[in-house]
Amino acid sequence: MSRCDFKIVLLGSEHVGKTSLVLRFVNCRFNAGTPYQNTIGAAFCAKTMHSNGKDFNIGIWDTAGSERYQAMTKMYYRGAHAAIICYEPSCLASWTRLRHWLQELRTVEEDCKVYLCATKKDLLDSGAVVREVPEDIVATYSQGLSGHFMTSSKTGENVEELFQKIVDDCAADVSVMKNVEEMRVQLAKEEAAFKAKSKDYCFC
Amino acid sequence: MDDILDEVVSSEDLQKFEKVFHEQLHQGKVTPKAQFEYAWCLVRSKYPTDIRKGILLLKELFHSHTDGKRDYLFYLAIGNARIKEYNKASHYVKTFLEIEPANQQVLALERQINKRMEKEGLIGMAVAGGAVLALGGLVGLGIALASSKK
Repeated sequence: MSRCDFKIVLLGSEHVGKTSLVLRFVNCRFNAGTPYQNTIGAAFCAKTMHSNGKDFNIGIWDTAGSERYQAMTKMYYRGAHAAIICYEPSCLASWTRLRHWLQELRTVEEDCKVYLCATKKDLLDSGAVVREVPEDIVATYSQGLSGHFMTSSKTGENVEELFQKIVDDCAADVSVMKNVEEMRVQLAKEEAAFKAKSKDYCFC
Repeated sequence: MDDILDEVVSSEDLQKFEKVFHEQLHQGKVTPKAQFEYAWCLVRSKYPTDIRKGILLLKELFHSHTDGKRDYLFYLAIGNARIKEYNKASHYVKTFLEIEPANQQVLALERQINKRMEKEGLIGMAVAGGAVLALGGLVGLGIALASSKK
């Protein structure tokens, strides 16, 4: 039985690349050959990370961006320590929608740390797409948030850095760490109780 | 929380979507959206009766509403796996993979289902093995008794 120390949730419009970002981070892989398949509801992944000489179990909820899941994905924001809101710099609509995602998140989890993530950096760098979202607007907007990263799930650029920053920030946060400690104590208690209970039922 | 099959809906969420569904049912017209959202909560409930109800609603949607077939298949697999109907769950997973063979979410679900089948299958075999041993013991006792009578 293992539980996650930090809960991270991914938000953003469909097709911006939330799932690719998670798969790159967790599996260190990008599969260009896979056709686009929208996420059903929400997918869950876990990974162990280090910060400040300690190990932390992080659980990532990759929520569906499509409209039909709007009412449902909100439930996954609950209890999140950090959120990554993704957008595509070459798609103005995904940026305009960002405010909506942030509001949705805030109604559920007020104190959650928020990180903006501009995806598909490789396409921008190679000139395959043109930037539609002005950089100065992004800079102004992200000032009130915990961070802004430009990532490429294809090359892996900045992906590890983004998640490392989140884990470092969470590990440095006194109230989050208090929460983590309480959870660990609770889990240890539950495990002890479970062991004691299963002893009662042993037929040996 | 280890995997998607352990995830449980909160009772307030379940009630919220139940209310919408029942209101529409009362008015005589349930939208696929309301039915799906309610079913999606039901299959993530901790009570098997809820899960079974969710499965029925999803099956109905699967046959009547072509738009969201992949979503219905996915949650049919989850619901069945959660009530330990692993063969049915595997069937839905396989049907899904015929259409989208590389779907990571469904491949992960398939691994979880197989893991549980293996774990619970082993326990099942251990119980069966114990029964065989006990039976063997009885037969042995019978033989011993029969031979002592001679």
